[in-house]
Amino acid sequence: MTDELKGRRVLVVEDEYLLATDLAASLEGVGAEVVGPASSVKEALDLFSRDGRLDGAVLDINLQSDRVYPVADMLRSRGVPFIFTTGYDASAIPKCYSDVPRCPKPVDEQRLIRCLRQVTQHA
Amino acid sequence: MVPTNKEELFELLIESSTDFGIFTTDLQGIVTSWNVGAERVFGYSEAEIAGHSADIVFTPEDRAEGAPEDERARARRDGRAADERWHQRKDGSQFWASGVLMPLKSGAGFLKITRDRTEQHQAGERLRESEERFHLLATSIPQLVFLTRPNGDRTWPSPQWIAFTGLSFDQSLGPNWLEAIHPDDREVTQKAWEDARKTGEYYTEHRVRRHPDRAYVWHQTRAKPVDRSGSLAGDWVGTMTDIDGLRGLQSRQQILMAELQHRTRNLLSVVQSVANQTLRSSESLQSFKTQFASRLRAIGRVQSLLAQVEDQAVDLRDLVTAELAAHSESDPASSKVQVDGPPVTLPATAAQALGLALHELATNALKYGALSHPEGKLEVRWEVMQKHPTPEVGLKWSETGISLTAPPKRKGYGRELIERALPYQLKAKTKLEFAADGVRCEIVVPIAMEPAHD
Repeated sequence: MTDELKGRRVLVVEDEYLLATDLAASLEGVGAEVVGPASSVKEALDLFSRDGRLDGAVLDINLQSDRVYPVADMLRSRGVPFIFTTGYDASAIPKCYSDVPRCPKPVDEQRLIRCLRQVTQHA
Repeated sequence: MVPTNKEELFELLIESSTDFGIFTTDLQGIVTSWNVGAERVFGYSEAEIAGHSADIVFTPEDRAEGAPEDERARARRDGRAADERWHQRKDGSQFWASGVLMPLKSGAGFLKITRDRTEQHQAGERLRESEERFHLLATSIPQLVFLTRPNGDRTWPSPQWIAFTGLSFDQSLGPNWLEAIHPDDREVTQKAWEDARKTGEYYTEHRVRRHPDRAYVWHQTRAKPVDRSGSLAGDWVGTMTDIDGLRGLQSRQQILMAELQHRTRNLLSVVQSVANQTLRSSESLQSFKTQFASRLRAIGRVQSLLAQVEDQAVDLRDLVTAELAAHSESDPASSKVQVDGPPVTLPATAAQALGLALHELATNALKYGALSHPEGKLEVRWEVMQKHPTPEVGLKWSETGISLTAPPKRKGYGRELIERALPYQLKAKTKLEFAADGVRCEIVVPIAMEPAHD
């Protein structure tokens, strides 16, 4: 199954370069078109406003100086499904995002792809 | 036969009143009669004292101060003079006398009736002392103290409560004190009294409004019945202790735990990623093993620097020194290496990434560069540049004194880290150059401090 996300445009927000490139490579490996990766809220919002056609997104919650929630809110308002990658326990995440699927770090790439496919199918 | 003569009746009464010392004196206080009770109370027989001054029953101190004369004057003026004071027996022992001195109707002298009330007096004294101790304690400890009915109606608020809440004494009585409890906590506060009436102990935590800033401060409130016999119906005494700091600490601890968990998982992710990248650039399992172990140690060094500081910021000099020291064990006091720059603190994420980059540079220098050659020299210098919107630190890594045969062909891990990862995650500007006489690397990093996580 190399085309599990074929043609899907997926925004990647992750501030750690090595993780971002690994993740981007895995997504491209299953046919996705990666938007980004972006390392900050500002970059992610800029990318989104420049090219708003997105099928899904993978968001790291904790970026260097801030949290990814403004990006999550923007995606939500546009109906773009997304998942979180995070080192946080569920209790540390605001309640309003409790329905967002989470992939704990270190990320299991297979699981992340499955999860992303599910949310993008539902959309 | 009941005596009908009034005088006889009176005498019988006096003689039988053995608990009362009853005696008469003339106007100067000379004893004229002395009953059996007086003998019991004062220790003198009638024969001994008749014709002598009754003032002898006063203590020497009171006599010196003229208490007997004063008492007679008051009795003459007011018709009676209460006499509540220590008296002295024949044997010198003292007792608390409670009595009264009255002028005789004839005007010829006085009648005095006295009882030994030492026990009652001492019990009263003990009670008063105990009350004073309670009051002292209740009004001087930092806790807010109160007396209450078992339904939560207060009967006494301590001055600390009044000062803390700004409610007056009367405003704190009955159920009124709830005014100072946070509206959301009032139900819990009252509900706890139901439990208390079953268990005999009141306990709750609630917010109390502080005067004058009206801020709500968490308090722990406990109360127990004053009556230790097991009856819960009487007054209860309670204390309210400020636990705001403690609760703050607890929630801070929870935040720290979440943060620690996040950092640990993130670190594992970095390790996972370093493993992947190393695997990609390794020719053999053996070279993977060596390089991966060496990179793990570099990550470990940055972590131990981070562990030493509370605010998760690392000094650049410490970072550089730790990395170089790890690569020059054979040559610790090396004149080959010069490190120079002003104090700069780096946030944790920047320290981690920069630490890995320095590690790659140092490893390379030791294998092929300045640290591998007797003529080789290495300079690591940095400066802080005041740029808008955030200052930048510019670090220069210069190796000289060697001749590089050929720059590495393959785009290795270190190179990708410096040329790609640092710009990506630190917004750094980097330049890596393999000059003829050694490696040069420039890294310019914005050093806006991370805002503290809330």
